[in-house]
Amino acid sequence: MENNTKDREIVISRVLNAPVALVWEVFANPKHIMQWWGPEGFTNTLDVMDLVPGGEWKFTMHGPNGMNFHNRSVFKEIVPLKKMLFEHFNPHIMFTITFAAQGGQTLLNWHMLFDSAEEFEAVAKAHGAVEGANQNVDKLSVYLEGMAAKK
Amino acid sequence: MRRDVFQAIADPTRRQIINMTAGQPLNVNAIADSFDVSRQAISLHIKILVECELLKINKQGRERYCEAQLGQLGEVSVWIEQYKQHWKNKLDNLETYLYQLKKERKHGK
Repeated sequence: MENNTKDREIVISRVLNAPVALVWEVFANPKHIMQWWGPEGFTNTLDVMDLVPGGEWKFTMHGPNGMNFHNRSVFKEIVPLKKMLFEHFNPHIMFTITFAAQGGQTLLNWHMLFDSAEEFEAVAKAHGAVEGANQNVDKLSVYLEGMAAKK
Repeated sequence: MRRDVFQAIADPTRRQIINMTAGQPLNVNAIADSFDVSRQAISLHIKILVECELLKINKQGRERYCEAQLGQLGEVSVWIEQYKQHWKNKLDNLETYLYQLKKERKHGK
């Protein structure tokens, strides 16, 4: 991996207390991934999950007030039990998820790469504002007032 | 009507539009295609976001592109930390789900 991506990536490592076959299954089997992937407070319906290079992964998130939002990614590389690479659109993010057996456990490496630091920052900001609306408007409100006061 | 960041994010569709356009400018049709509501409804949301100064419209020929204007949201480091935490929470969900699945299978469901 290039070493100049620090300002536009998210890296998370986690040892999961489950064998690699099971961990792979909850990613690769649409029945399972929809159970834990979607945002809090939403339900999801899978439209397609074609787990081959070039295959699409599309699902619809059902939000409050019956609103439906479409989500789209394209798989780039699939190595069963080892690696899953996909490209998410709007915002554009490259996901690389690797799986490594450690006895009966699994080391998961989760990597998200944005096109640029500016895009990464913009997506994080937008997400923050939106999460603030969902969960903690008061905190966001205080924060923004603080920002406004500095102007 | 009030026109500020809170008005902008008060509606789930507008929140989604902000998220979508944060990464890169998108044309109005691409935004509308991502929702199961009418183009008129999306146009109205975009108009409100423009009035709240969270979106800017750039015309390129006949296309209209929406560009997120997130300057008023301030320091980025706070938001980046929060965004990372969001993904860590997703992995927490995964761990919980794996735990449940293992338990179920042990009991032969």
